[in-house]
Amino acid sequence: MNAPTSTEIGSQFITFFAAGMLVFQLLLVVQRMLLTNIRLFALQSLLLAAIAGVVAYVHNAPHVYVVAVLTIIGKVVFLPWLLDRQVRRIGITQEIEPLLNAPTSMLLCGGLTLLGYILTRQFTAMERLGNNTLGIAMTLVLTGFFLMFNRRKAITQVLALLTVENGVMLAAIALTTYGMPLVVELGIFFDVMVAVMVLGLLVYRIRESFDSMDTSKLNQLKG
Amino acid sequence: MPLLALLIFVPAAAGLACLLVRSRRVMSALGGLAYLTTLALGIALLPQVLDRGVVTEWNEFLCADALSAWMVLLISVVSLSTSLYAGRYFQRDLDAKSVTPGRVREFFVLTPLFVAGMFLVVLANNLGVMWFAVEATALSSVLLVALYNRKTSLEAAWKYIILGSLGLALALFGTVFLYAAAVGPHASEKLPSFNWSHLITVAPQFDHGLIKLAFVFALIGYGTKAGLAPMHTWLPDAHSEAPSPTSAMLSGVSLKIALYALLRFHILTTACLHSDFSRYFLLGFGLFSMFLAPPFILVQKNLKRMLAYSSLEHVGLICTGFALNTPVTIFGALLHMGYHALTKPVLFFAAGNIHQTFHSLEFRVIGCGVVKVLPVTVLLMGLAALAAIGLPPFGLFLSELTIISGGVASHQTTISLLVVVALLASFCGILQQLTRILLGARKPGDLASDARRMDGVPAMVLLLGSLLLFSVWLPAPLLELLHQAAAIIGGKP
Amino acid sequence: MNLNPLAIVLQTALLLLLAPLMSGIIKNWKAKLQNRRGPRIWQPYSDIIKFLRKDMVISEHASWVFSFAPYIVFLSALLAGLMVPMLTAQAPLSLFGGVLAVVGLLALGRFFLALGGLDPGSAFGGMGSSREMTIAAIAEPAMMLAIFTVAIGAGSTDLSHMVQASQGPVWKLFNPTHAMAFVALFIVLLAETGRIPVDNPATHLELTMIHEAMLLEYSGRYLALMEWGASIKQLVLMTLLANVFLPVGIATDTSPAALGISVVAFGAKLLVLAAEVVLVETTNAKLRLFRVPDLLSAAFVLATLALLSSFLFG
Repeated sequence: MNAPTSTEIGSQFITFFAAGMLVFQLLLVVQRMLLTNIRLFALQSLLLAAIAGVVAYVHNAPHVYVVAVLTIIGKVVFLPWLLDRQVRRIGITQEIEPLLNAPTSMLLCGGLTLLGYILTRQFTAMERLGNNTLGIAMTLVLTGFFLMFNRRKAITQVLALLTVENGVMLAAIALTTYGMPLVVELGIFFDVMVAVMVLGLLVYRIRESFDSMDTSKLNQLKG
Repeated sequence: MPLLALLIFVPAAAGLACLLVRSRRVMSALGGLAYLTTLALGIALLPQVLDRGVVTEWNEFLCADALSAWMVLLISVVSLSTSLYAGRYFQRDLDAKSVTPGRVREFFVLTPLFVAGMFLVVLANNLGVMWFAVEATALSSVLLVALYNRKTSLEAAWKYIILGSLGLALALFGTVFLYAAAVGPHASEKLPSFNWSHLITVAPQFDHGLIKLAFVFALIGYGTKAGLAPMHTWLPDAHSEAPSPTSAMLSGVSLKIALYALLRFHILTTACLHSDFSRYFLLGFGLFSMFLAPPFILVQKNLKRMLAYSSLEHVGLICTGFALNTPVTIFGALLHMGYHALTKPVLFFAAGNIHQTFHSLEFRVIGCGVVKVLPVTVLLMGLAALAAIGLPPFGLFLSELTIISGGVASHQTTISLLVVVALLASFCGILQQLTRILLGARKPGDLASDARRMDGVPAMVLLLGSLLLFSVWLPAPLLELLHQAAAIIGGKP
Repeated sequence: MNLNPLAIVLQTALLLLLAPLMSGIIKNWKAKLQNRRGPRIWQPYSDIIKFLRKDMVISEHASWVFSFAPYIVFLSALLAGLMVPMLTAQAPLSLFGGVLAVVGLLALGRFFLALGGLDPGSAFGGMGSSREMTIAAIAEPAMMLAIFTVAIGAGSTDLSHMVQASQGPVWKLFNPTHAMAFVALFIVLLAETGRIPVDNPATHLELTMIHEAMLLEYSGRYLALMEWGASIKQLVLMTLLANVFLPVGIATDTSPAALGISVVAFGAKLLVLAAEVVLVETTNAKLRLFRVPDLLSAAFVLATLALLSSFLFG
């Protein structure tokens, strides 16, 4: 048997890590402890950074290493630390009963996975590395949306938003050999950081005002 | 002179400088000065763009074509008038203790940054940077919406940022797909540049499937920020809970900025596919927005929410105008952008005055016969309302007529008919609501008259005056600019 | 049908002797992780011998099912174990249906276990049986889906074929299909062997016991058979996980060198698996009963996704 090329091994690992991201996303959907959710998000972002690293290695694209490092600094270390601090400051560590219970959510997410694959089927030929990572990216976006509407705690909604971003970044890596231009990646990175900081500030103010992070209490404005 | 770079740096510098300044007057003056400068720069940009077609700086990082130049003018005019109004507005709020000095400083720091972000959106060449700028405007305006820190403000701000960020994540998805569509045929090469000026030249070679996907995501994403229905649910909340100067800017220009970003995608998609794909989507969303607004206008009990729904109507109309895709309708839509940007802020300023006088925006609290209490405000508001619902001699009548007649002329009569129906519905709605509160007799025991009834009048007069002026006389350079912009959108290089 | 008497005898002996050792190791390591000394790893052997020698006390309401069940549980686990490749890629026994027969035999054992719990008419026993069946209802499909995923990759449900088909470069095993099926089957392992977070094997509180509840009425020889059968089932599932998903080092022929490597590899894999079980048991709390379906449906969806991935990624 021929020795496998680095592209093959790289492809294999990317698919493996991408599937790992999907599993973490599904765990996020059913898991109710807020602190665990934050760690799951950190792990998911770590896998994303690993994928970026593999892409950089296989294609010899140094600026994709920068993306990997940025992801680690931002999404694996800084943002989880920020959110963790926020959750501890507020003192609420558990999610309230979601709209749909856990088994139903899981089944729905299974369905969304299938939907994600179907939607991106025609583009699989355009992927540079890994099979069907675009499908996983689409699934991350869809399940992120579902997570946002299913949960009521503000912090979980922030996490849902961040997982949607992860999905978009995965799509960027899957579809483009050298990733997006560095200036765009940097811009996206800073945007996400600032967005979460602003969101964190808002959550704090909401907590002060409403005495709860339950966003279903934000229902005064209607019509 | 680096015009484009200055357009972005001057407001940004003014905003950051306000961090160091103590006095509210100085902050207000800094802002006003900055916007005056940008207006001057925008006017100076005009002949350059007409001459050369496209003005670029910083190695094509910043690029201004006719469409960008038009947007620059709109942004600077609205910001200037807002800063004229904001000074007195916050003075009154501070006196009434409904806001703290810290928050007022927040306003004067964030608003110029918001404006700088908007300038970056229209001047950025790289589509990724454009996305970044739209997100930057969203983030800077969130805290502005939450300024009053009431429960309802926080709710509005939360909805705004969550829906806005979700929308922008989708828009980013669309941007990624666009990048992939552009890279597509070149397999493992790096894309030479993600600049719009380059993309428009190679558009026909894009991958068709990916570009369609890119457009749909960009439509939903940037459409959320533009307030197109059904992604508009954050719009009435955010625009009504924000302080009136911010509402004026949000309704006046920030919706148009998002529409601008969407337009760039629309132009690329049409250039690639040469079909009506993107047009039909724009048409669907535009018409839906136009028809969704009137029922909500009729049942509104809050003045600024009603005005926000009116903005929804107008944005829908502009979108439909672009979607009808003839040079006439596109010209009309661009014109409408401008006239609406001149009119809507006046309405919001007047609403702000009413809010500060009556301490509420609810119709039942305001009662009727506001004209007795704030005669000048009501006069100006009435004129602006007549303009907004499309009565001559105001320019909005002209732009609406242009869109409708363009539609009929190009055999898209049903759509034009639908547009007329929707416009009539909102016409009746706004007229009915406003006459109810503005005219009539005051009930005994209500506020008799307000000493500070001349507040905010200069800003409103400035805007209304310009509106009237430009309704009857459109200077040749502006006309030429609009024609060029329409050509860009219509697909002729 | 593939019968090799020597292989059958050897594998039977291995199953019988190794099973209590695995239980002992897990109990000991769990205690160590909790900063206790814990029982010796040979303790389960002493327990079984003790039970075999003791008298039995049987409820007067019990019927022949009560007496029959321990033998069925023990023998079905043993038979299932004979069909799973342990040291050699070729299992000693391969009945028609391969892995389906394994699952069926384990299900038969569970069925009689539940009946045996119901038979004496005690409240605890019935309660344990009903809880066990609730868990089994979701755990079984998950297990089947997870194993089918690998079977589809190998093109056969015969375990020996599956192990042989998975032979190849190690990095090829790091694909999402395998990984997700592994995690799903691991969760099912926890459910089937009654470990935290599904069931607490060390409790006798009414609120919390499932497996123990069904064994409550048993004593003497029957209890020995039940306990031994349970640990054999645990060993069978662990072997399934170890050898089907990571068939590294398994002997493809009967040369002494290959067998030697196989013994070492098998031992190492079992120990690693035991360590994972211990870690999961110690770091988690037992789930409330109505939350257990949540966990198991997660395993089910994971297994479904694994199956899906095998079509999409393969």
